[in-house]
Amino acid sequence: MTETSSLGALFRRWKRRLPLSAADEAAVTNLNWARKQYQRDAYLAREGEHVTVCTVLLQGFAYRQKILSDGSRQIISFHIPGEFLDLQNCLLEVADHNVQALTRCLVAVVSKELLLQVMSDRPAVRQAIWLDSLLDASVFREWVVNVGRRDARQRIAHLLCELALRLKAAGLGEGPLFDFPLTQEQIADATGLTAVHTNRTLQALRRAGLINLTASKLTILDWDALAEAGDFSERYLHHSV
Amino acid sequence: MDMPHETALQLLARKLNLHHRLSDLDRQAILELPHKIRRLEAQSYILREGDRPDRCAVLLQGYAFRHKLTGEGARQILAINIPGEALDFQNLFLEEADHNVQMLSRGITADVPREAIEALIAEHSEVGKAILITTLVEASIFREWVVNIGQRDSRSRIAHLLCEFAYRVNAQELHTGAIYELPITQEQLADATGLTPVHVNRVLQALQREGLIERDRRMIRFPSWERMRDVADFNPRYLHTADLS
Repeated sequence: MTETSSLGALFRRWKRRLPLSAADEAAVTNLNWARKQYQRDAYLAREGEHVTVCTVLLQGFAYRQKILSDGSRQIISFHIPGEFLDLQNCLLEVADHNVQALTRCLVAVVSKELLLQVMSDRPAVRQAIWLDSLLDASVFREWVVNVGRRDARQRIAHLLCELALRLKAAGLGEGPLFDFPLTQEQIADATGLTAVHTNRTLQALRRAGLINLTASKLTILDWDALAEAGDFSERYLHHSV
Repeated sequence: MDMPHETALQLLARKLNLHHRLSDLDRQAILELPHKIRRLEAQSYILREGDRPDRCAVLLQGYAFRHKLTGEGARQILAINIPGEALDFQNLFLEEADHNVQMLSRGITADVPREAIEALIAEHSEVGKAILITTLVEASIFREWVVNIGQRDSRSRIAHLLCEFAYRVNAQELHTGAIYELPITQEQLADATGLTPVHVNRVLQALQREGLIERDRRMIRFPSWERMRDVADFNPRYLHTADLS
């Protein structure tokens, strides 16, 4: 198994936060994981489905979203390799949102019973998974603030700061250049803005020399200015935990 | 408002048991958690952003809310908590609180030392699961609030918040036109929906004119739950009350 098709990124992320023994790692690795591939835009899970598995992203990027009865879409998080996409499914029966591939994705899937079993057998694994779910929740809270109390420029700058910092923490780019293929439509859906407003705001951020965004790359040209523009404080990412 | 000390955590045990069936032994372990009863005035802080919490407050009476302040000082309310809910489970295993928790009304909490909760989780794995479920459901509610503020217009947004509150407080009586206490000011409602107080006031008046809500000070009633639910685009799936094992 090559490094990028293994759970290495998951373990590295966990080990940044807590001690994980070789036996803990082996116990998780030896669960009956299945690998699955998805094309860009494919659905990994749909709202309303009864879900019996949990999924770790190994390669590519994914996002979670909800679609309202009028068809509008709100993106509620973006995910990078080494992260669970649906940890809540280990204990909740029905998916309350959709999970979609942002790029081509490779994921590892495990039955929730096996995951719960290893959590009861291994305190460190339980704590790691528990922490993951609390960190997810912290990011959701920050997104409530972002759409609720920040203007368009702050919202978009904040989103880009978050993505850059998470990519960097995962070792996926040192900056200023990040391989993260985000469309303007997706940025709009993640920030509750219209496509037109998003386009104008991105152009303003670019003109001000803060960022450059192409179809596949995000370049942060002036981190301090972008963090200030985004009212960004990294406490909610709990990187020091 | 007096509460016998030994039964203070009954409400928490009952809530956790709703989420995940617990044995008598597990329930007993919850009731025996060491705790200190605290009476709190409205607006008092339970937890401040940046604090390193060493205890977990369980809300016994009254309502609380979570919020954050932006760099410019604007406040965003993130959630409303009702009796029986633990206010600090979100901070278990995290070192620093990333948001504030404040009382919405007067109330009573039982404060349990954090180490006691961590020991309970380690020794009673089914209680641990139940606690994890409550934090996962809270996370689902945060997601729905992102959607609510990000995509719904002000009318649906406020209606959605009212529906959610009524559903969480008393899902059984929604169709009866029952009267609820809504322990939240228009300013707080504005901070929970990303709107201005003036806008909230206009929307509440419009909902009232249309016969969707009836209000008398802090009391509120929905004459037709179905109409209100439709205006709010409210689907209780995200509260995960139907699909709990």
